[in-house]
Amino acid sequence: MDSDLFYSAIRISTPLIFAAMGGLLTFKAGMLNIALDGFMILAAFAAVVTAYWTGSLTLAILMAMVCAVALAGLLALFNLRFKADIFIAGIAVTFLAYGLTALLLKGMLDEDGVFASTKIPKFPAIDIPGLSHIPWIGPALNGHTLLVYLSYLTVPVVAWVLYKTRWGLRVRVVGEAEDAARAAGISTGLIKVQTMLLSGAFCGLAGAYLSLGYVSLFANKMTNDRGLIALAAIFFAKGKPFPTALVALLFGLATALSVRLPEVTGIAPQLLQLIPYVVTIIALVFVGIRNFRAQKRQGAWRFDIS
Amino acid sequence: MPIKRTSAAGNAALLALRSMIAPMVAVAIALIVGGALVIALGDNPVEVYGTIVQGSLVGWPNFLVTLQTMTPLLFTGLAVAVAFRAGLWNIGAEGQLIMGALCSGIVGYAVELPRFIHLPLCLIAAMLGGAIWGLIPAVLRVKFRVNELVVCLMMNPIALLLSGWIAARVLKAPGPTNKLPDVLDSAGLTNFSVYSQVNAGFVIGLFLCILFAFINLRTKIGFQWRMIGLNPRFANYGGMQVERKALSVFLISAAIAGLGGAEQVLGQYHAFYDNFSPGYGFDGIAVAMLAGNNPIGVILAALLFGALNSGGVVLQMMTGLSKYLVQVLQFIIVLILSARFSWEWLKAQRVSVVEPQPQAEALPKNAETQEN
Repeated sequence: MDSDLFYSAIRISTPLIFAAMGGLLTFKAGMLNIALDGFMILAAFAAVVTAYWTGSLTLAILMAMVCAVALAGLLALFNLRFKADIFIAGIAVTFLAYGLTALLLKGMLDEDGVFASTKIPKFPAIDIPGLSHIPWIGPALNGHTLLVYLSYLTVPVVAWVLYKTRWGLRVRVVGEAEDAARAAGISTGLIKVQTMLLSGAFCGLAGAYLSLGYVSLFANKMTNDRGLIALAAIFFAKGKPFPTALVALLFGLATALSVRLPEVTGIAPQLLQLIPYVVTIIALVFVGIRNFRAQKRQGAWRFDIS
Repeated sequence: MPIKRTSAAGNAALLALRSMIAPMVAVAIALIVGGALVIALGDNPVEVYGTIVQGSLVGWPNFLVTLQTMTPLLFTGLAVAVAFRAGLWNIGAEGQLIMGALCSGIVGYAVELPRFIHLPLCLIAAMLGGAIWGLIPAVLRVKFRVNELVVCLMMNPIALLLSGWIAARVLKAPGPTNKLPDVLDSAGLTNFSVYSQVNAGFVIGLFLCILFAFINLRTKIGFQWRMIGLNPRFANYGGMQVERKALSVFLISAAIAGLGGAEQVLGQYHAFYDNFSPGYGFDGIAVAMLAGNNPIGVILAALLFGALNSGGVVLQMMTGLSKYLVQVLQFIIVLILSARFSWEWLKAQRVSVVEPQPQAEALPKNAETQEN
């Protein structure tokens, strides 16, 4: 085991953790947001274009967040205002974003499929003094870029907001018992819109990291189902912030292994990339059987999203 | 009786016309938004749309290419429509298509048989492959009430990765590309023309759409599927075995998607290639939404999207615009049509007639359905 592997696992997990935290907020508010990939791809594109034209990483991150939040607003509009099914509207928004970014890539930058340029600035690696001297852990944790550290910092923040603030309590009530929340005078629509927009903001960061931090380019469909993997992490951890982040990190490790292991052992990378999806389905089976038994015992039915 | 018949036919025509309003409005809005995008990118929308129409419908070769591009959409669109109509959200058509393609690709090269056995065997293998892939979300949904959407979403990448592994390692044909060996001639679907890859699969797709239109309108089982979708609790109290019916319709839907995969392998590529589908399963959602889950509507919607796709390729060759304009149009349409609930609501405000639409209605969560 080398610390290189963990270094890259931490890097690879960063967009997963951002997206998972964004998805977690909507999940807690009772909405299963499957458009994370769509938000991310639009953000990734906006980040690359802004960084290429202005040379400013700050502006790029801002622009990425603005675009992703706007797309989240579109989904919230259709889901909450026009009563569209969130899955169908979510799929529509995702593929709209895939198509739109590919269209704009050709229209604005005149490139097919991939855009890279030396004019795109890079994030500087942050050297934390003293950390690199710790054996084994140090090199894995040190020398990442700003967004990597930020992503891991969002986990306790999200946990704190959800479980220690009034707003977080409201979000959870809306998710668990919407009628009760409405009866208690909570504006459920407002809470849902807020979580959806925040989810967009998190995915904005994820997308910006993907195209500017992880690599310095934009490619069509470059999110590579990371939104789905983030969703899988949320499901597997039953929507708890710290376990979700941990599962996302494990999925990231699996991805890192799928890059590394084939070189050493000759195992097919596809089989390692399968892990998050298969694990999620197994988890869903267990949850399903457990709920089913509980239903039979109680004779009543609970509405469960999963 | 004849008088009654004609009035019923007139009513049906009126209903059909009315059900076409929402899709037409959605297409119109998508074209306007797409036109605005084209203007923003510095092109002339009239010219762009003209090129798409010219490139997809004008001239025999162009039209044949359109028929080719619409063929997979016939299958996936019908698959999604059959499931949606019964209130089952099968968005896993992409994975089912891939597994169907994989199975037909394996049977297509691995066994040597006379044509009249080999080809049907390949088609059956594809249907089984699709159905097996649909079995997991279907059983979880029907027996354990696990949300089929989530399971389907996860099954899609699993199908892609698993088939990718088989095409890259297990059964890889010699050569640089990740593909299975070519299927034998005895398993090939007959190609009609030198201009495009349109093949007998197109006829199978058309036939299936007409078959399911007949089943939906004229048979008991078609009516029961609709009842499951409209009001499962009522269907249950009415004495239908909702769980069994839901399971069977989900598997039929998955099998149709699998057959679409066979058309790609046996008719167009003549081998299973890794990652061959550009998202036909998801396009199928767009087709079914536009068709209002009506099998005849699926033919029209598949023709529209097939034409847009083939025209989009011409557009990309002729101008600086990307063919992805088509994808944008397609999913603007889906987004608008997904908001149908509110239109129903709007209509209900004005007239008290609410058009029945097979929309998201869960299976009974509390119904004490048959314990066998």
